[in-house]
Amino acid sequence: MRQLFKIVISDYWQRTRSYAFLITLAISLFAAYSFVPAPDANYTTLRIGNYIGVQNAAWIGYVTAMMTSVFLCLIGFYLINSNIKKDIQTGVGMIIATTSISNFSYLSSKAWSNFLVLLSITGIVFLMGITLFFIRSAGYPLSMMQFILPYLLIAVPAIFFISTLSVAAEVFLFRYPVWMNLGFFIFFCILGSQQSTTRPLFDLFGVKTVTMSMQEIIHKNNQYTGTDVSMGFIFGGKKAIGSFIFEGIHWNISIILGRVAWICFGWMLIFISSRFFHRFDLKQTFKSGSKMEPSDIISKGKILHEIKVSELSPITPDYGIMPFVSTELKMLIRKGPRWLWLINLGAMVALIFAPLAVAGQIILPVLWFLQVGRWSDLATKEKTNRIHYFTYSSYKPLTRLLTAQIISGLLLALALASPLFIRYLIALQLSSFLGILLGGAFIVLLAVSMGILSGGNKLFEIIFFLLTYLNVNLIPFADYFGGINHGSPYLLLIFLLVIFLACISFVARRFEIRRL
Amino acid sequence: MKLSIQNISKKYNKEKFGLKNYSLTAENGIMGLLGPNGAGKSTLMKIVATISQPTQGSVELEGIDIIQNPNYIRKVLGYLPQDFGVYENLNAYEFLEYIAAMKGVGGHGLRSRIEALLEGVNLIEAAKSQIGSYSGGMKQRIGIAQALLNDPKVLIFDEPTVGLDPEERMRFRNLMSDLAQNAIIILSSHIVSDIETIADEVVIMNNGTLITKGTLAEVIGQVEEKVFETLLENSSLTEFKAKHLVVNTNRQKDDVWVRYISNDPVTGSKAVVPSLEDAYMHLTKNRN
Repeated sequence: MRQLFKIVISDYWQRTRSYAFLITLAISLFAAYSFVPAPDANYTTLRIGNYIGVQNAAWIGYVTAMMTSVFLCLIGFYLINSNIKKDIQTGVGMIIATTSISNFSYLSSKAWSNFLVLLSITGIVFLMGITLFFIRSAGYPLSMMQFILPYLLIAVPAIFFISTLSVAAEVFLFRYPVWMNLGFFIFFCILGSQQSTTRPLFDLFGVKTVTMSMQEIIHKNNQYTGTDVSMGFIFGGKKAIGSFIFEGIHWNISIILGRVAWICFGWMLIFISSRFFHRFDLKQTFKSGSKMEPSDIISKGKILHEIKVSELSPITPDYGIMPFVSTELKMLIRKGPRWLWLINLGAMVALIFAPLAVAGQIILPVLWFLQVGRWSDLATKEKTNRIHYFTYSSYKPLTRLLTAQIISGLLLALALASPLFIRYLIALQLSSFLGILLGGAFIVLLAVSMGILSGGNKLFEIIFFLLTYLNVNLIPFADYFGGINHGSPYLLLIFLLVIFLACISFVARRFEIRRL
Repeated sequence: MKLSIQNISKKYNKEKFGLKNYSLTAENGIMGLLGPNGAGKSTLMKIVATISQPTQGSVELEGIDIIQNPNYIRKVLGYLPQDFGVYENLNAYEFLEYIAAMKGVGGHGLRSRIEALLEGVNLIEAAKSQIGSYSGGMKQRIGIAQALLNDPKVLIFDEPTVGLDPEERMRFRNLMSDLAQNAIIILSSHIVSDIETIADEVVIMNNGTLITKGTLAEVIGQVEEKVFETLLENSSLTEFKAKHLVVNTNRQKDDVWVRYISNDPVTGSKAVVPSLEDAYMHLTKNRN
């Protein structure tokens, strides 16, 4: 037990001492601040019909806990889902495999460290919630239990389950990261869409019991029957909203057991995963697969050759970037499983035939999101593959290679969006046409800049997932390609963002090259 | 070609130095770098390869400061780092084409040059397979091939023989000798015999400073008449080690043959011909 604790703590430290974690914390703080809108804000985060609660301790405590639960289930998975992969990449896994630690203990330690990472973020949001209470509550008394109970019983079981789910996903889908990302996206969307009909026991986020209690209060105190729950960032329509007093819910034993059940489901996932865990015996699997290791001529006893320097062809200088663009494109296309291209092609066909609004607002962002694995390491793969010694000592690496990487990423984005491009051109919707062009540039430069700044691909993956989810839900401020907002001022804003990201990318890479 | 390193230092923090006030001049030929881990060999090589900048000092190639103008040396540089990687989903051809693009090499002759290099490192048969499926030795040979893509005039090899089998190591040494006629080669290795066999000049470093530089004979000359062999009882070896610098032992039943360096040999010792390894041990251990 003591050993397990040490493993968990070491794992936790090495993961939290990264820029990606710090930036995620910063994003979480910003998100937490927005969970309780100011009285004059033009959005709400939780609305029951046309009602919102007065900003007392219970409302602020429960709303921030519920939003944290949903928010961390959404981005938490992407933040923590490479815990075992890191042990494979660093080779530490091979050492672990030779120790006496059991599969169950190892996977448990991974789940615990995942949980601690998410719990740290939850803790920060919890403190922000209390701070918000002092900022926003108009004279209502502070009751700590109205903060502690919802965080403990709503957010904690949810993030624990996500921590174990990510371990299970890594065990079963470690060769198929695209399935992992896509599968969770679908899982999350299904959970979200079932919120109105699901029973409290099956609600991972733990919000159903609370919203049902809120609906009851409104039914009792008002003769108003429309009590549909709207959760998330809901813009507009706030003027017609009334208020009600929410005092928290009574946590009876069946509700508590319902939440504990998710923790048990999590342990069950770990137990099942431990039966199928590869224990880092990956080479064997590789050999039995279709890709055979080429035999080395040296081991065959054939006549061996030597490099004869005087017989090598003379060199011709060529400092253009097209060979880079071509190879970068090849690598982008080859990355990920081949079947993903079938889905890409299917989505491109859908871009031709779907109504323009659906194609532009839903299919395109999802199609681009499917390429997250291709773009996320566009400018970090030199370091992760340890090629940077070659690239940084090459001729003008900044202006040639980084430019080529951005161009190749953009070409991929535009090629995928080409059916929609053509439709917009035919319909003479030039602003939408420009929007896609700028959106492609934005997402590629976001990948490049976030990659260089954070030194990894995680941060971009989280932000891109969040952007896609918000886009699919038609949240205007997340519209990075003009799918919802078509006006010229909005496109100008995206253009300025693109320039800003390009500047960050080049300056940060220049700094990186000089400080290696 | 003349490479001149003048008073360079690399400071990581207030107390930690990678290199301290280091000066060196190199001309066409092979310069072998020797030193224990942390001596500053890789730091020096990275600075010359322009991927790391010194805190102070200058590095000049043909009188041009390459700290200020890194692209000057990059056009003629071949660099094989110690722990390089590859893009595993490219094949050997594609990878070398990619590196050639980085080095600014193109034209019609590129393909035949890549083929000749792949043939020379005995990878032509595996050239169409993705590099991810290569063994460690095959990847190392790809590393050697990429260093020669641009007809380099300055070659930096950091532990180049790691992962090569003895026959490949021999072929690599022949290649070095061939290249050294028209290029400056800086070669670092922990395998002293590799340096001893091919280096025109030997540089020994420790703690970020230059300890000695000279031809093989000059460096070995520093331990002339100081290397001895003697036969000891097993039980007295620990006590002997405390008094003398032991460079090698060879156990035989109850006794042990000991090769050691000393200004004051024990009775019954026999003077032997010193090697570069003896000089290296003497120069680095005496300064620790």
